[in-house]
Amino acid sequence: MRAIPSRSSRSRSRIVVVGLALSLALAACASDDPGADEEPDPATDEQAGDTTDGEPAAGDGQAVRFLMAENFWADWRPYSSTALSQKRLERQIYDYLVDFPSGDLSQPEPSLATSWEQVDDTTWEFTLREDVVFHDGQPLTAEDVKASVELASGTAGESAYALTWAPAEVEVVDDQTVRITTEEPFAPLLVELWWTPIVSAAWLDGDESRLQSEPNGTGPFRLVSDDVNVKTMERNPDYWGEPAQIETLVWEFIQDPQTRLNALLSGEAHAIDRVPPEHLETIENEDGVELLGVTGIESVNLYVRTGRLPIWDESADFRRAVNLSFDRQPLVDNLVMGSAEAAGSFLPTNTMFYQEQQPPFTADPEAAAEALAAAGVDDGGPPFEIWVAEGFLPRAVPVVEAIVAQMQEIGLNPTVVTSDVAGLIDDAFGEDGTGAMYHLSWASAGDPHQAAAVYSSAFAWYFGDEELDALVDQGRTTLDPSEREQVYAQLQEHMWEQAWHVPLYNSDFTMAHVSELEGIIVQPHSFRTDFHRARLGN
Amino acid sequence: MTGRVLVTRLGHMVLVVLAVMTIAFFVLRLATGDPARLVNPPGTPENIIAQTRAQIGTDRSLPVQYLTYLGDAVRGDLGTSFRGAQSVGRTVMAALPNTLSLAGLAILFSAAIALVLGALAAWRPGGLFDRLVLGYAALAQATAPFWLAVMLILVFSLRLRMFPAIDMSSWRSFVLPVTTLVVALSPVLTRTARQSFLETLNEPYIKAARARGLPNWRVFAVHGVKSASMPIITLIGLQLGFLLAGAVVVEAIFNWPGIGKLILDSLASRDFPMIQGGILVAAVVFVVMNFVVDLLYTLLDPRVRAGQT
Repeated sequence: MRAIPSRSSRSRSRIVVVGLALSLALAACASDDPGADEEPDPATDEQAGDTTDGEPAAGDGQAVRFLMAENFWADWRPYSSTALSQKRLERQIYDYLVDFPSGDLSQPEPSLATSWEQVDDTTWEFTLREDVVFHDGQPLTAEDVKASVELASGTAGESAYALTWAPAEVEVVDDQTVRITTEEPFAPLLVELWWTPIVSAAWLDGDESRLQSEPNGTGPFRLVSDDVNVKTMERNPDYWGEPAQIETLVWEFIQDPQTRLNALLSGEAHAIDRVPPEHLETIENEDGVELLGVTGIESVNLYVRTGRLPIWDESADFRRAVNLSFDRQPLVDNLVMGSAEAAGSFLPTNTMFYQEQQPPFTADPEAAAEALAAAGVDDGGPPFEIWVAEGFLPRAVPVVEAIVAQMQEIGLNPTVVTSDVAGLIDDAFGEDGTGAMYHLSWASAGDPHQAAAVYSSAFAWYFGDEELDALVDQGRTTLDPSEREQVYAQLQEHMWEQAWHVPLYNSDFTMAHVSELEGIIVQPHSFRTDFHRARLGN
Repeated sequence: MTGRVLVTRLGHMVLVVLAVMTIAFFVLRLATGDPARLVNPPGTPENIIAQTRAQIGTDRSLPVQYLTYLGDAVRGDLGTSFRGAQSVGRTVMAALPNTLSLAGLAILFSAAIALVLGALAAWRPGGLFDRLVLGYAALAQATAPFWLAVMLILVFSLRLRMFPAIDMSSWRSFVLPVTTLVVALSPVLTRTARQSFLETLNEPYIKAARARGLPNWRVFAVHGVKSASMPIITLIGLQLGFLLAGAVVVEAIFNWPGIGKLILDSLASRDFPMIQGGILVAAVVFVVMNFVVDLLYTLLDPRVRAGQT
């Protein structure tokens, strides 16, 4: 028997109808696009991706939307983090003393510094460009360089950049001249300066909240809107160099690679970040979009934590057995779909002084069994966890599952733990972590010090290998290029022999963009993505 | 509703919101993932990590963090994002109308479709149209929303260029995400409407209406729709949670700037203030809407009022 609708339910129906009408009104309010009925257009505003009325003429009112794959983790306090997404954003807003526009680390070119000379092993003198102003209108002076370099290098306060910097003091010779002195010879000084944004001294001394939220650089773009997932910049009309062609530049975080691809193919974005291997063919076969990438810039390894798997720390034979338990090339060919190179060293392929090591690690079950026996292991050894994060490095989970399956075939006892990035990072570096190995990556700006330092005593991946630590120090302080090359040859050989970690492959970095977007630069040694000279052609 | 009942109801609402805030706060802290580590790269020395913890306040004890959070929330301050200097309150309130409009339109169209299809199916039970409607309901119910969303984008955005693939930019932007939600929501509503029509048509007053010579279409349009609406409305209330959960997936695929996407993106970086703010505002809206409905109920229906007093 069905209940007869009561007056209360009739009342409720009226209420719901009113609610639905309100939702229509909300929909109307939520869309404040003046060109609401226009066809989709990539030029967007910072929040809702509003469309504009037609494509602007080249160089005048151009708006470009770039969809990032990485979260904007950090805030704008200079040198407070080395989050890659933040460094890439800062590239558009700040300038640096020197530049390496070709990506060749032996060819530095002027930027904020017009000239420089090495006075002695620890001292460099830089002459600054005149008539450079910060976005707030203040002129650039030597005091700004002093404040920036001393803070970044850790001399004047806590700095995340101090990881790869050497402590430095800066003497102001005059308004346009500074002298940088490091505690000891510091070979990668120019490369570090290439990654150290020059910030206004007055800004650094000012209000902390302003420093956190309002970047004040001298770069070709200035920040005009700062939302959690969307950063909107506009062209700096007072830029000292050639002004940017793009009027409005939007960087937006979109986590899902399929959504980024859809946006590019539908014309709602001009460029997208980190194209996964499975999308490459789609883009290659599509008219009006292009791929842009660099190969082998990021070391993807199974990084091992000291103390989590004692036999790993103690036995080179056990480490050798693990490294001989699986093949890298099939992982690269079949799972990463060719968007990587099998690791031939612990330094990424595009690193200066890279040398491929011999023999390469390949699957050799007999040799692995012998190594296990030599390690005194007859039951495959203790169980251990290999952690892998979903949703960031391409095809990470199937790669690790394939590795684990091969390890198990020779009797080892690994298990896969799948997590998100946050969980993996926490387990790897937290005190209560249970994992032994972590599928992670590390990139450098091309200088071997940045690539090798992660294995030194300054980092959590250090296994107490004093010889390795000494070689890292030596590489940092050796100024003569040929001597330095020898140091890094020795370092790479030593690391390959010791195999404190499990090298996998060096992955590519691939973006895609609409063909009409010209002049976008991705540096061969890094994730630097530069829109300064980009423009929308016809 | 008397003053005492009103105060009691308000007290219950506060308790519900407090419970949601508390659960969200502690579940987030129990989950792995230290936000301070996520701001820095792997291998960053502990002193830098500790410095970051101090900056974002996660170095304090849990009770202190919790009480600070509650105190700030009472003052209307939902804090600042871990990922920058953005105000959580402003960001969440900017996202709220976008989610409400998406869900509201999905409800509106689902209900309309359910009434029309339900009536047509019940017109001749077991007939061709009835079987087609039941077939649609089965197929739509078996379709995963994320798959449908991607297919709709492939066909209508990338091939036919009819609607935007992502974002909320114009009325066109609503078409694909609303369609996705409607396909998810309408099957259960359609079956309910059909059943309700069938039952209504067997009521004595319907037979009497027909005996008086009232045309069939009028019997359906006036009496049938009125009766079938009631269970649909009840069902919509029950499905509201499901709809909001579905909206999270849809918002992610269509890059819809709503609360669901905001929470999802914030989870990746363990941006606790933003996640808590999103959950809190959603809970408050939900509780307040229920309260308003009940309040109006009480005002409009003397039996409810009598029952409560």
